[in-house]
Amino acid sequence: MPDSVEKEIVSIIAEVSGFDEEEIKPDANFFDDLEIDSIKAIEITVAIEKKFKISVRDEDVPLITTVKHAVELVNTLLEQKAANARA
Amino acid sequence: MPGLNANEYDAVIIGAGIGGLVCGCYLAKAGMKVLIAEQHFKPGGYCTSFKRGKFTFDAAAHSFGGYRKDGIVRKVFRDLGLDMLLNIKRYDPSDIIMSPDYKISFRSDVAETIKDFISAFPLESDNIEKFFHFLNNPSPISFARMRNWTFRQLLDHYFLDNKLKTILAFPLLGNGGLPPSLMSAFTGSKIFTEFLLDGGYYPEGGMQALPIALVGRFKELGGELRLSCLVKQIVVRDGKVAGVHFENNDFISSRYVVSNCDAMQTFSDLLGSEVVSKEILNEIETMSPSLSMFVLYLGVDNNTFQSLHQPGTNLWILNSYDIEQIYSKINKGHFDEIDDFMMRISPDNQTILAFVNAPFKSRAYWTSKKGKLTEIFIKGIMRNVLPDLTKHLIFRDAATPYTLYRYTLNYKGAAYGWSGIPSQSSFSRYRCPSFINGLYLTGHWITQVQGIPGVIYIGYDTAKMISRK
Repeated sequence: MPDSVEKEIVSIIAEVSGFDEEEIKPDANFFDDLEIDSIKAIEITVAIEKKFKISVRDEDVPLITTVKHAVELVNTLLEQKAANARA
Repeated sequence: MPGLNANEYDAVIIGAGIGGLVCGCYLAKAGMKVLIAEQHFKPGGYCTSFKRGKFTFDAAAHSFGGYRKDGIVRKVFRDLGLDMLLNIKRYDPSDIIMSPDYKISFRSDVAETIKDFISAFPLESDNIEKFFHFLNNPSPISFARMRNWTFRQLLDHYFLDNKLKTILAFPLLGNGGLPPSLMSAFTGSKIFTEFLLDGGYYPEGGMQALPIALVGRFKELGGELRLSCLVKQIVVRDGKVAGVHFENNDFISSRYVVSNCDAMQTFSDLLGSEVVSKEILNEIETMSPSLSMFVLYLGVDNNTFQSLHQPGTNLWILNSYDIEQIYSKINKGHFDEIDDFMMRISPDNQTILAFVNAPFKSRAYWTSKKGKLTEIFIKGIMRNVLPDLTKHLIFRDAATPYTLYRYTLNYKGAAYGWSGIPSQSSFSRYRCPSFINGLYLTGHWITQVQGIPGVIYIGYDTAKMISRK
């Protein structure tokens, strides 16, 4: 599962930023390295929520700055969702 | 261009609106062979001017923003060498809002604008400072955090005074077609910073000067523009664009197709259900376009305006502090009286452009209403600004939402693309749809940005995305 989360997030970043997937390294900073601006930051956040059917809390949005951090956040939220579903 | 036959292009752009022209210039500059196909006989989309007798009128866009030192329009015009070609003047104040109790001016010096607001609303002085500071120093993250916020929530976050909130929201209703309770905080903030805090720019010769300059540059860079040339199909083979078919059945082959026309047309008509899934077509069917406009064009005799504020300034007349009700009325097309509107006296002192937002209806509906609404609107201007107007009127005409549709083919004559509500922000994932390789969408139907700075940004960004491939 974690691998596919990373793949999906890289695909979202590629679509929004216009960079090829191979160019998007796990530690690349969205704003400094991938030219993400306000509009694209909204697009990425909304696309992640839609793709994984999760809701990112406002205070967690600043974590979405690299692929690595976004994957960690999404995995945490998916685990919480699964735990809630089991409860 | 080497390697390509006469009917082969690197990129075909459908629509010579400002977004399409900017995108075309950058692609041509990058060495691509580019064709722009425009259905109208004039380039520019909503940014055009027309002549009636001795009067020149701007059709819809009547000034622009985003031209400060680091503004997107300034950057693009510099990149393309247009800043040297165009004589652009900034009118100061760019906008004045007149309500029953207040007159607030938006000055070139933002500090002066803030002072104006503070002197009108001293109890909100700290909040006004904080609000303007937030708008002038945005971080990309802050809007992602507020992605579900409405502009009303943003206003409520900063202010208590309803009159102040209404004054801040009214030009956004005019420039975005939504009240604060429906407009996304991001769209509202963008309009506020780009249209009001950095607005009021105007090219010598009228708004048509912008597309003329862009077309000139596009051609110098080797681009080809075809006017009165309607595209009827985007051809897709094996999940990749192959080119476009024109109305006369001619086929042009192209590696990339950029659609600068509306998204409904692009997906439903130009691509169609053979290419686009039912789910996506259904999703688009349920989306709502922005409101259209009823635009009044008046020509007057000389010296009419000598005692008035300076020409070139957008004058916003606001008579009610219930902005939701103003919206509700215009959304339904209830125009018994028009007392909340925008008007602008042209820099040459000869014409007035005034508008209210209005809903799209059939041709028959607007044909029957146009004359009466023109009279109602003129009376509104006389009641609120120019009591003697009819004595000086030489020419009057108007564009209805149907007129806007007829000239530009924008879905339902929408003035600002999709309605800028927070729930529609995810549409931008179709900017370069993953299921059609080589297709890009550009223009005001794509993201939450609007107006000339918005489409210039998107046109530039689309070209950047294509050039990276």
